[in-house]
Amino acid sequence: MAKSSIKLRTKNKDGSVQVKALIKHPMETGLRKDKKTGKKIPAHFITNVTVSANGKNLLNAEWTGSVSKNPFVSFNYAGKSGDKVKLEWKDNTGKSDSLETTVK
Amino acid sequence: MKRRSFLKSTLVASATGVAVGVGILSPNIASAAAKLNEAKSVDDVLKMLGATGAEASDKIKIKAPEIAENGAVVPVGITSEIEGTTEIISITAANPTPYSAKFTFGEGAVPAVKSRFKMGKTTDVIAVVKAGDKYYTAKTNVKVTKGGCGG
Repeated sequence: MAKSSIKLRTKNKDGSVQVKALIKHPMETGLRKDKKTGKKIPAHFITNVTVSANGKNLLNAEWTGSVSKNPFVSFNYAGKSGDKVKLEWKDNTGKSDSLETTVK
Repeated sequence: MKRRSFLKSTLVASATGVAVGVGILSPNIASAAAKLNEAKSVDDVLKMLGATGAEASDKIKIKAPEIAENGAVVPVGITSEIEGTTEIISITAANPTPYSAKFTFGEGAVPAVKSRFKMGKTTDVIAVVKAGDKYYTAKTNVKVTKGGCGG
């Protein structure tokens, strides 16, 4: 398998688990123009991101082209070591990826 | 080229179809999100969310730089201290499509999120928080300097 587009880090601190994720994605808004050809670059951005722990939904994000290129997201939840944290994303062209990691 | 775009469109259509079929996305929610993407003004976004009369609250903390040298990557953190917060919506007022992101929190998740947004020019960042059936809002201003000369 090709290298995952997702970097997922978790850190447990006294029952509060911090989840940090970086996703490699161009996040084109569809409004930008190619400088050479003058044509618009088609929109290509992540529309949905879901993060779950042990199969339970934690965060559901709806994104638009206003989110930066190679988006970053971070949040905390009440969890414990050994939790299986999974992140999935889906973009407007139907592409998707997911990654699972275990909280240390 | 035609074949390619045809394949692409059918793929997308079928993917959406499957999602709707399984009930991940109810058709209503899916179309509402599509409209929010196209909303051109903050008022339109608020109207579509049903959050026109959102109450200003100081329990929402927005952490964003006062001056951002690079508008393509502006780190923004939004924290809600309102009890029962389920959703945090971020709106970048001056962008062509102001509706930026919506975060829905599940059980156990702390309603605070950090992410990075694009800002075309100096703008208000508006956070809309849904707690229970009510909407609350807060905003802050981010000055975007172009050219990296510090203004």
